Amino acid sequence: MFRQEFIERNAFLLLVLTLVTIAIGGIIEVVPLFTIETTVEHVKGIRPYTPLEQRGRDIYVREGCYVCHSQQVRALRDEVERYGHFSLAAESMYDHPFQWGSKRIGPDLARVGGKYSNDWHYAHLSNPQSVVPESLMPAYAFLAETPLEADDIVARLRTLRAVGVPYTDGEIANAAVDMATQASPNADNVELLKRYPKAVTVPGNGRVVTEMDALVAYLQVLGTMVNFADPANERLQQ
Amino acid sequence: MDIDPSDLIVGLMMAVFGLVGLILASGAMDNEMYVFGLSLFGFACVFDFGLLRRHFDRMEARRHG
Amino acid sequence: MADAAIMPHSAPDYNEAVVRKFVIATVFWAVVAFLVGVWLATELAWPQANLGLSFVNFGRLRPVHTSAAIFAFGGSALFATSFYVVQRTCRARLFGGEALADFVFWGYQFFIVMAALSYVMGFSQSQEYAEPQWHLDLWLTVVWVAYAVIFVGTLMKREEPHIYVANWFYLAFILTIAVLHIGNNLALPISMFSAQAYQVTSGVQNAMIQWWYGHNAVGFFLTAGFLGMMYYFIPKAANRPVYSYRLSVVHFWSLIFMYIWAGPHHLHWTALPDWTQTLGMAFSVMLWMPSWGGMINGLMTLSGAWDKLRTEPSLRFSVTAVGFYGMSTFEGPVMSVRDVNALSHYTDWTIGHVHSGALGWVAFISFGAVYYLVPVLWKRPGLYSMRLVSWHYWIATLGIVFYITSMWVAGIMQGLMWRAYDQFGFLQYSFAESVIALHPYYVIRLFGGLLFLIGALLMVYNLIQTVRGKISTSEQRIVMPAAVAVAGE
Repeated sequence: MFRQEFIERNAFLLLVLTLVTIAIGGIIEVVPLFTIETTVEHVKGIRPYTPLEQRGRDIYVREGCYVCHSQQVRALRDEVERYGHFSLAAESMYDHPFQWGSKRIGPDLARVGGKYSNDWHYAHLSNPQSVVPESLMPAYAFLAETPLEADDIVARLRTLRAVGVPYTDGEIANAAVDMATQASPNADNVELLKRYPKAVTVPGNGRVVTEMDALVAYLQVLGTMVNFADPANERLQQ
Repeated sequence: MDIDPSDLIVGLMMAVFGLVGLILASGAMDNEMYVFGLSLFGFACVFDFGLLRRHFDRMEARRHG
Repeated sequence: MADAAIMPHSAPDYNEAVVRKFVIATVFWAVVAFLVGVWLATELAWPQANLGLSFVNFGRLRPVHTSAAIFAFGGSALFATSFYVVQRTCRARLFGGEALADFVFWGYQFFIVMAALSYVMGFSQSQEYAEPQWHLDLWLTVVWVAYAVIFVGTLMKREEPHIYVANWFYLAFILTIAVLHIGNNLALPISMFSAQAYQVTSGVQNAMIQWWYGHNAVGFFLTAGFLGMMYYFIPKAANRPVYSYRLSVVHFWSLIFMYIWAGPHHLHWTALPDWTQTLGMAFSVMLWMPSWGGMINGLMTLSGAWDKLRTEPSLRFSVTAVGFYGMSTFEGPVMSVRDVNALSHYTDWTIGHVHSGALGWVAFISFGAVYYLVPVLWKRPGLYSMRLVSWHYWIATLGIVFYITSMWVAGIMQGLMWRAYDQFGFLQYSFAESVIALHPYYVIRLFGGLLFLIGALLMVYNLIQTVRGKISTSEQRIVMPAAVAVAGE
């Protein structure tokens, strides 16, 4: 039965054997990643994105930022010195989809959060060359002029919960409020920070929450959730 | 009028897709879905008209041939 | 080739209309893909070319280029040749009738146009080479199932006892792409009426699945399918049987078995577990063997017929393609070694590697097939101008050389600059300094891409004249009897 002379006379057999042959490698490499406990580290600090950060992430995904920016600091000496602690699997466990990227036309962004001020990000996104003359980055000024679509935020968070992001009922119920709060520096953000520690409030323009506000909020949280100085996280050091 | 079974099956399938396109466009939450729905509907119509035209062209040819 | 070449019986009434349509689409999308590529190269050399417009920003336009090159141009070439080859080698008309074949053609074109439109409008799921959102993925699935039904159906009703080797590769390509496409695009939309969806998997698992898909888009779309092309058109144009049947059997099964494992080499040194990285690297290195087995089988088919390279323009493209295939399938395993990858990954070396495969292998083998097919499908005695084919060949080859050498230098330099330390033990260069250093190479790359585009435009002119039934007056040549024989087959 497994002689080619026989297989190539039988289209159905050829089809089945081909499917079996291509299934093996994929199954062996993919399935254990879901079952082996140590694949994703248990670290303190990883939380779902705030509604505004998640919307910023949606824009990051929509604009295809990954074609120029990776989000993965590799475990190599120079990368750790340039960008910070190497990336952990846990740090992208709520990333649907992951955005590790494959090319660095611009620098890695896995730990960009907190490295620059909000103002720097607004100026840079609007006109990158005004801040970094060597930059090849296109201008994203239009994001500052586009109001953020806010009506569907509950549907978005619910969908994310369905695929495994542990948003609580309270977080979903407060999604719209949290989103507005994070974009208004004068608002009371105690509740927001209780739900989402380390969330960075962005200045906004005072009239309407824009897509750029969301994107900056997302960039400012990247790589900041895990406190690597915490002794509890020390055993991660390889 | 003998209809090619392939024309019939594919034609009906496309009619269903056209309908799906209309439904998607009618309830669309964003531009993308709206444009996609309408385009799918338009595409299905044009495709089915193409099938009809070819069918009658063939009948015509047979009558004159 | 015994099954196809010796055919005293009357040929069945093949569906060549759909093949002609796909050939036209192939040529059209080739020009679009190269044009967008040139524009993107300009944007990287001079960012002002982004024009400050959201819909032509690099981030939105880049998937237009990759999708146009891989799925529109490469895909149309695969549809055209697979439909042509499966009918001839099975001596059977396409299964499912004209309407189903037309559905596959127009449905696929609809998919391409809608996908390109959605990228520039700002809808991408940002999974590399799988950017379309869920609704377009579903539509492609429908079209693909129809394609599989036609192809397998035609195999089932064949008049030949054996299934020819080219069809094994086409079949593996069709089946595997279906599996990969569905597996990688599992996403949950926020509503049936919204284009927005979220991937079912996340983080490290999503990364592994994406590169299981991504690398096998290369392995099955851009390799297996095009090997099917090689196994038909090279023997046909050289008028020689495939060098070794046994080698093609080993080549086929080992290639499709090993390719599937290679994905993790895109994720070296990342948060993906080491065991997965090691498996990916090991299989990528082993993959060198079946790849070169295929290359040898293709090249050796020409033994005793090398002189045909002078007279058969299509063959020149096909054979150079196999050469580039051998080169990039050697480079690939080298780059998949973890320590090489530490340097090469994230740099333009990858871009150079991809293009030596895409331009040198995929595009050249397709050009070869198109130059072969057009006179046959439109029943013309030969191409309009052999001299133009020669010009196309040399301009395009020169373009590839400029492209890949500039990207090698750029990539290696970039990798070395990122890891350079000064005498005090600090990183020597800022990221921005590595960006400036790349500028001259980006300009050279643009020039290489431009040459490749010009070559393709020469092809378009040549093919249009051929279809119009013209023969260049300045060329004294005897119409080859071989071409006529093929046309009348």
